Amino acid sequence: MIMTPGLRKFALTIHITSSVGWIGAVTAYLALDVTVATNQDIQTLRAAWMAMGWITGFVIVPMALISLLTGLVMSLGTKWGLFQHYWVLISFALTILAILVLQSETQLISRMATIAADPTTSANALRALPNTLVHSVGGALVLLVIQVLNVYKPSGLTPYGWRKRQEQRLIRQSADSKA
Amino acid sequence: MLQTHDEADRGLSYSTPRWVKVFGIIAFVLVLLIALVLITGLGGEHGPGRHTPSTEQAVESNNPGIHTPPIEHSTQQP
Repeated sequence: MIMTPGLRKFALTIHITSSVGWIGAVTAYLALDVTVATNQDIQTLRAAWMAMGWITGFVIVPMALISLLTGLVMSLGTKWGLFQHYWVLISFALTILAILVLQSETQLISRMATIAADPTTSANALRALPNTLVHSVGGALVLLVIQVLNVYKPSGLTPYGWRKRQEQRLIRQSADSKA
Repeated sequence: MLQTHDEADRGLSYSTPRWVKVFGIIAFVLVLLIALVLITGLGGEHGPGRHTPSTEQAVESNNPGIHTPPIEHSTQQP
């Protein structure tokens, strides 16, 4: 089903806002992750871990889910389709991958934020909490790849998209020959 | 070679675009590297245990002379 232009613009606005918001929130998280990796001050570590927990739970996860949902609406409700163009398909696959990794990391970050927030947690235990830099840098790179694909929209039809085009071409040709 | 809609519209034969092939090769190499790091343990311990301090560490007090009870970690969301 193709969306009306008004609805398409509305969905696109939410999609861009959530996707760019997701990247922005990951960048903010990354700054805190670097702080955790390089700092030994107990108060800074405690505050950074708690902020990482909040950013992940209240910003990154909702933005990621809204981005996925609106991306699905945008692809299925426009001429692009979800499986017809490689850039859409790859963006979708990378988004799913990023959300799966995020889902597993969210539980760990939440647990570590709880440990950091606990006033009885010792300084050594707080310093022993490992950073999540590998996952946050990897996640940021994946999001940048998705962003580039969505902006450049490199041409390339999937075999399914190619067959759909051929079918449409045959329908057009038979309609022309009848006319 | 970039595949265009015109080619599909003209009924030319299908071929996977070059950028998709390059993308696939890079993705395959990355997955192999990650698998290698996980299997050989080069990247250290992975999984939930990696990010959680041991109980001993967690209960260690700032003042080792005073016994402190183990910390109860609730599942409360941040």
